Amino acid sequence: MTVMMPASDRLVLDRRDAIVADLRGIVPGEGVISSAAEMLPYESDALTAYRQPPMVVVLPETTEQVSRVLKYCFDNGIKVVPRGSGTSLSGGALPLADAVLLGLGKFKRIREIDFDNRVVITEPGVTNLAISQAVAHAGFYYAPDPSSQIACSIGGNIAENSGGVHCLKYGMTTNNVLGCQLVLMSGEVLRIGGKAPEQAGYDLMGIITGSEGLLGVVTEVTVRILRKPETARALMVGFSQVEAAGECVARIIGAGIIPAGMEMMDRPAIHAAEAFVKAGYPLDVEALLIIELDGSSIEVNELIQRVEAIALGCGSTSCRISGSEAERDLFWAGRKAAFPAVGRISPDYLCMDGTIPRGALPRALVRIRDLGEKYGLGVANVFHAGDGNLHPLILYDANKPGEMDKAEEFGADILRCCVELGGVLTGEHGVGIEKRDLMPHMFSEADLNQQQRVKCAFDARGLLNPGKVFPTLHRCAELGRVHVHGGKLAFPELPRF
Amino acid sequence: MLTFLVSSPKGERKHISLRVVVTVLRIRDAADIELAVRAAIAGEQPLEIIGHGSKRSIGHAMTTNAVLDVSALNVVTCYEPNELIITVQAGAPLDEVLSLLDSRNQEFAFEPMDTAVLLGVGSGRGTIGGMIGAGLAGPRRIRAGGVRDHLLGAHAVSGFGDGFKAGGRVVKNVTGYDLCKLLAGSWGTLAIMTEVTLKVMPKAEAERTLVLRGLDDVTANRAMTAAMGSSYDVSGAAHLPHSALKAAPGALAGLASTGQAATLLRLEGIAASVVHRGAALAANLASFGAGELVEDAESAALWRAVRDVAPFAADGPLGAWPVWRIVCPPASGGVFGQALARETGGEVIYDWVGGLLWAALPSSVDAHAALLRRRLAPLGGHATLLRADEETRRAVDVFHPLAKGVAALSERVRQSFDPQSILNRGRLARTPIS
Repeated sequence: MTVMMPASDRLVLDRRDAIVADLRGIVPGEGVISSAAEMLPYESDALTAYRQPPMVVVLPETTEQVSRVLKYCFDNGIKVVPRGSGTSLSGGALPLADAVLLGLGKFKRIREIDFDNRVVITEPGVTNLAISQAVAHAGFYYAPDPSSQIACSIGGNIAENSGGVHCLKYGMTTNNVLGCQLVLMSGEVLRIGGKAPEQAGYDLMGIITGSEGLLGVVTEVTVRILRKPETARALMVGFSQVEAAGECVARIIGAGIIPAGMEMMDRPAIHAAEAFVKAGYPLDVEALLIIELDGSSIEVNELIQRVEAIALGCGSTSCRISGSEAERDLFWAGRKAAFPAVGRISPDYLCMDGTIPRGALPRALVRIRDLGEKYGLGVANVFHAGDGNLHPLILYDANKPGEMDKAEEFGADILRCCVELGGVLTGEHGVGIEKRDLMPHMFSEADLNQQQRVKCAFDARGLLNPGKVFPTLHRCAELGRVHVHGGKLAFPELPRF
Repeated sequence: MLTFLVSSPKGERKHISLRVVVTVLRIRDAADIELAVRAAIAGEQPLEIIGHGSKRSIGHAMTTNAVLDVSALNVVTCYEPNELIITVQAGAPLDEVLSLLDSRNQEFAFEPMDTAVLLGVGSGRGTIGGMIGAGLAGPRRIRAGGVRDHLLGAHAVSGFGDGFKAGGRVVKNVTGYDLCKLLAGSWGTLAIMTEVTLKVMPKAEAERTLVLRGLDDVTANRAMTAAMGSSYDVSGAAHLPHSALKAAPGALAGLASTGQAATLLRLEGIAASVVHRGAALAANLASFGAGELVEDAESAALWRAVRDVAPFAADGPLGAWPVWRIVCPPASGGVFGQALARETGGEVIYDWVGGLLWAALPSSVDAHAALLRRRLAPLGGHATLLRADEETRRAVDVFHPLAKGVAALSERVRQSFDPQSILNRGRLARTPIS
């Protein structure tokens, strides 16, 4: 483990038995798990290279229990790590040895479906896909579709501001959530937003979304649902050069077309996916674009023609257009299975997640290739090309001494490269512990201090999910100081009123 | 005391002062803003932040008479149409930026409102910073999101006098907290934005508006709800009762001539598609009556009038009445608005399917605040008194009072940016004026 986590509080660990007993008083029965064997599934999230048993696992079932658990921990100075389905790829739900792991998995009920207002009110443990399934009979769906949607919870989606292949047109979680019930670390229960399209006052829902479980625990969510488009069709376009594929992406956007999704895969990813899924991907190309258009059938058919013409103009070497839903699903099957497909060709892989300006794609891919040669590791690229979100999959073998460290260094270099190219460290997977120590490459101390001050407004004692997102933990009191540059005032004659 | 920050031919920064009532600090760059805020902190001197000042009459009177004018920060730093982003300084004039986007057939998809029509001041004025600080999105918010959904990144100066950056220059970004969300709609009370990156979108090739006639507010609300439940991708849904239409100038006046209310449903996209969807939507909503279709430029003019609340224009017959901006669950809007109009003798128009109501209410001591907020509470809605004379604004909470816990959290958030309340002190909350 190469990431330093906050030091354990010996005083808390010494009181573990008493704490467990107290928590059992709040959450009865099987809701408190304290045996090493039973806590095993909670040692890690989907960033499995990092593991840490928690002090105790608590699985509350009601908002009141969440509130009481948090208040108890607040009063006793005990850290808390919230967890949804544990599918975070950045270690957002990695436990701490001296912390309560607060699992929201029992919050599994959809509370209300309101088609007239086009919202669903749900508990946070409900999976992303289950929301779409619950409204599908009426022709509606919930737009953000992270590839883990079958397992990931909507609460986790809010923590991570999850995206998906369709966020180019339909936005990420933050653009599709209207409100929540939030329990602060102090145990205070707040209602933020609701069915109205905007909330009053500051956009607290906006800051909560993507805060990686550091600001509060969400116990109810109100999401927007959309009517399904009349139809959707996809093109699968091959290119003999990555640069040409990149140019094609730019020209499609430049022509005023916003596809529902626009994905790119490079040669290694295409081969791995094809071997796994048999989607009929061309194997003689360097880059493959999957471009989906949705809307009315007239619009989709017209735009398909325009996109095909643009692709031809960029030198595409193959182009298939889906003629049926089954064929469209097949085009996507390979892309959606790209991660497990790569898992078949390499003992281990590290999935990176940076975003770059679309136009920088060819430069980024050259840099990644060069870095691969430098580190002597293979890499397969899948890429949400429409919004510049790169997912290089670094291939390595954890059983070879030093190879995991090398892969992590390679990954960090890729993310630094993303920032240099005008992009950011993470597009959808979150900072967590994985990218925490890279934050200073993107943000200055002043930038990070302002973010941490906001954290202090929600959790002044710093007990909720510490060690994530921020490379340096400051005490709130020291962040709150105003710098008065006495004696050297720029406007000495500013009047007082 | 009027204090100017000026630069000598050698580029040195100096101050000159004149003894007058209002202090105006005209800054040249972000560094000046940091200096000014730090000086203000040291002098315990709150600052009113203005761009063009076109929205100064919104909110409470600020407890300061020192003005920080950021309109000199007016440069378009970088416009990349293929990346769908524009980076501009916060003082850049909105109309110039919109013209620039238009030259590449792009726009801000959230349709920023031009408040000049309603407020009667600032025609052709307004800055990007003001647009974000106010967060007033137009009809397309139901499909494309609001200002907050399009602000990708910002450089700003906090009430600590520290310059900081939030977000980035790409759409897909979850690196650190999304502070931009807080800045949008914060009315300048958290930080002074200096440069921002906004998402831009291609303009639709064509648009059609299906106009349904003669529906009462509640039925219109149902028709708009049905339209949004269809798969025809409606990008605007508004309803104008006839009594409100009568007061409208320009584009809407034509609609008033038949003596009936108008319910507007907008479709945008490529020409063949809007023609197809227009016909299909009309058939789908046939039970609400036969609609007529309005095309392109004429349609666009209608939606500009809705966006800017033309029926309640400052120079129109209802120009003297206070105007509320009410946001509520969309399907509740019709019943709520109809009752409000009846009880107060006011006029209400509906946007966002019924989720946004503009209410011009006859003057009263509290502009009917107590009544409408009491009625809104069970719906989960909120109301802002967007237009009212200063006396009324002294008597009423202009911005919707928040529940106790949320108010306390919001205040802690505000303090995390500006602990001494240097920036726009008093604008959001009614406070005694010293």
